Amino acid sequence: MNTQALGVEYYLAGMRAALDDLPPGEVAEIMEDVEAHVAELSTELGENETLEQRLGSPVQYAQELRQAAGYPPRTERLPVTTKKGLLSRPRAAAWGLGIATGITLLVGVAALREPVFLLLLPGVILVLSLALVHDRGPVQAEIMGLPETRKIQQWLTPEVGTPAERAITYLKSLQPAWWLARAGLLGLGAVLLAGRDIPGFLAIAAIAVVSVFAGPRAKVDRRWLWFSLPASALAVGLLFQVLDVTANNLAYNTRSSYQQAPVMESYENIYAYDENGKLLTNVLLYDQDGNPINAQRQYYGCRDSDPQPMIPANRYPRPKIDYENGTCYTVAPSVSAPSSTPSTPPSSSGSAPSSPVPPTSVSPSK
Amino acid sequence: MDTSQLLKGVLDLAVLAVLRKDDGYGYDVVRRLRAGGLNDVGDASVYGTLRRLYNAGLLTSYVVPSEEGPHRKYYSINETGRARLAESRETWRSFASTLDGLLEEVAA
Repeated sequence: MNTQALGVEYYLAGMRAALDDLPPGEVAEIMEDVEAHVAELSTELGENETLEQRLGSPVQYAQELRQAAGYPPRTERLPVTTKKGLLSRPRAAAWGLGIATGITLLVGVAALREPVFLLLLPGVILVLSLALVHDRGPVQAEIMGLPETRKIQQWLTPEVGTPAERAITYLKSLQPAWWLARAGLLGLGAVLLAGRDIPGFLAIAAIAVVSVFAGPRAKVDRRWLWFSLPASALAVGLLFQVLDVTANNLAYNTRSSYQQAPVMESYENIYAYDENGKLLTNVLLYDQDGNPINAQRQYYGCRDSDPQPMIPANRYPRPKIDYENGTCYTVAPSVSAPSSTPSTPPSSSGSAPSSPVPPTSVSPSK
Repeated sequence: MDTSQLLKGVLDLAVLAVLRKDDGYGYDVVRRLRAGGLNDVGDASVYGTLRRLYNAGLLTSYVVPSEEGPHRKYYSINETGRARLAESRETWRSFASTLDGLLEEVAA
């Protein structure tokens, strides 16, 4: 079996060599026929029969085929091959497809922020480039025969048995799953747009629906790649964006929960010093709206039964309350002031709002 | 007389004829021709003829994936191909009857 597979490969390689003076597109078309032919014949071969016995040598096969197809004999070179030029229609179409797919990826990444009508640009490129080659049939042999496409094909078909080959075979087996995932991603993108951008919503929803059919169709008719590839790019772009938005939300949530605890409230007490480093007592703090600025505890003082009057919660420094022998003492703030005075005491240039209430003369000490 | 020389001139007609009713891939066409009595037809000649008819715009092709092995490229005859088939058939008929006439005279 294995030697037969090798025989097939060998035979096909011989054929390719014997045809290599023809335009690459034409060779690709011929080889598509011949590969199927040789593969089918090889299953019919008897135990000791070879392909050569059935078909003649690859060179003979190629010669007979050339004659019947009306190609010039091997020695002549087709002027078309060399005169093909850099900018043929298949090449323009292939590059158009590639570029449009790239743009679609970018638009997909930005789709939830930028207007979706940007998709019109790759859309126009796709329509134009497909129009160039639509009449060339479902196989698009000329594009498949371009040097750049053959290079890509070479990358995608590593030697049999290598890990790369196994990986690619495995990924190929996931293709139908990807078609569904792609439709899902596009659908999600459409839903996210639904509230803001109705044309965008309709466009992406339509792409999502058609993409389900486009996947399997493209396996048979390569012209569907002009839809299928950009649809994949759009889905990947949307996936990036969904991940990005999710990551941002997570970051925002952690940040905002941190911000929800204003700095003021994490302080138990405030000590204000004048420019001479003297501790100010009975300072009342208000914000720009005249609301008292209260440290952590809103109500301050001993229990109601305590004879000591309640102290305004925004008066600083607050007395320290000591519970000793079941009785409540307020300790003078000077005692509880930090032992080391701040090296740069805040200036008294009046950044504190003017207090609407004059400080009372109630001493915080007992 | 070597029929392979005769076949060369009429293989186009034969291939168009076996594609008249059903589309077929290359090896299909080879089998149909052989089943029709053209035992000496060469595989490569048939494949080459298919390419020539396709390039001349008489056939269209489409690919059908195969569960085992490579895709199969099916050829189907289009309107131009049918017109050519009808025309070639007339040419062949009159040619064949002319030749029959000549051969009758020889026999007589």
